[in-house]
Amino acid sequence: MFEINWALLAPLFIVEFILLAVALIDLIRIDETNGPKWVWAVICIFISILGPVLYFIFGRRP
Amino acid sequence: MQWSVIFKREMMEYVRSIKWIWVPIVFFIFGIMDQITMYYLPKIIDATGGMPEGAEVNIPSPPPAEALFMSINEMNTLGILIIGLLSMSLIAGELKSGVYELVLSKPVKYANYVTAKWAALSTLVLASFFIGLLAGWYYTNILFGELAIDKFLVAFLVYGLYLLFFITIAIFVNTWFKRPGMVLFLSILLIIFVNIITSILGHFLTWSPGHISSYVSTYLFTGNITTEMWGTIGTTIVLIIGLLYAAVEVLKRKEL
Repeated sequence: MFEINWALLAPLFIVEFILLAVALIDLIRIDETNGPKWVWAVICIFISILGPVLYFIFGRRP
Repeated sequence: MQWSVIFKREMMEYVRSIKWIWVPIVFFIFGIMDQITMYYLPKIIDATGGMPEGAEVNIPSPPPAEALFMSINEMNTLGILIIGLLSMSLIAGELKSGVYELVLSKPVKYANYVTAKWAALSTLVLASFFIGLLAGWYYTNILFGELAIDKFLVAFLVYGLYLLFFITIAIFVNTWFKRPGMVLFLSILLIIFVNIITSILGHFLTWSPGHISSYVSTYLFTGNITTEMWGTIGTTIVLIIGLLYAAVEVLKRKEL
């Protein structure tokens, strides 16, 4: 295996984590979503980056 | 006065729907993704089994100008898609849900309504794009070699104009249809159409907005702003103003 420069990748992981955290907190606080909540939770957790973005665009009810 | 009220309402809406958090983050990721992948590519190939015995492939490290342009390329595809998704229900959604009638039952000028919404979305997108490109520029400097900051600034300003052009197209299409999906489809179709026309008739239409990304690429390599680039900037600004005016006119004539 090769050496990974963590200082280089840290911003990416931090930002990804913020995105996930914001999505999950919002998911808990929101009253209703398009479709069942637990499905969105699974999508957010298991699909990195794209999952939370999909939730923000399609999951939140205006 | 009225204009700033609508603008502030729109900004509040972006805060409430957490767009002010996720859009900058997504553009930040777009900005640095390609540089990081490019940097680790030889190692990734090694880790996934490597080249067959005897095959010697040298992946050259791209020059800094090309590395920064990778960020812009990413904005050109995924960024445009995100902007399309953001803007698809900007006015169309309000036409559909009836908020629009509520807003215009007060004496609100159509021009104020349209331009305030346009300015709000532009602020969000340009701020996010700035963050993304800045991150891309920073990573370019670290991984691929130095690139002057004025190149980053000019690339931001000129390519930002292209993003504004796309936002304006999306706002214009917003005034035609009530269905968000239709708005998204048509605005992306229109920008693709502009690019196709530009690539077919590129020799005549040297001032077409479709040239912006290739002109930015040339600028990053050579460092001079050509007259064609100024011409393109001029046409794009004129087209933005024209489309905004058309959007207001269409909305005025719309039956509720």
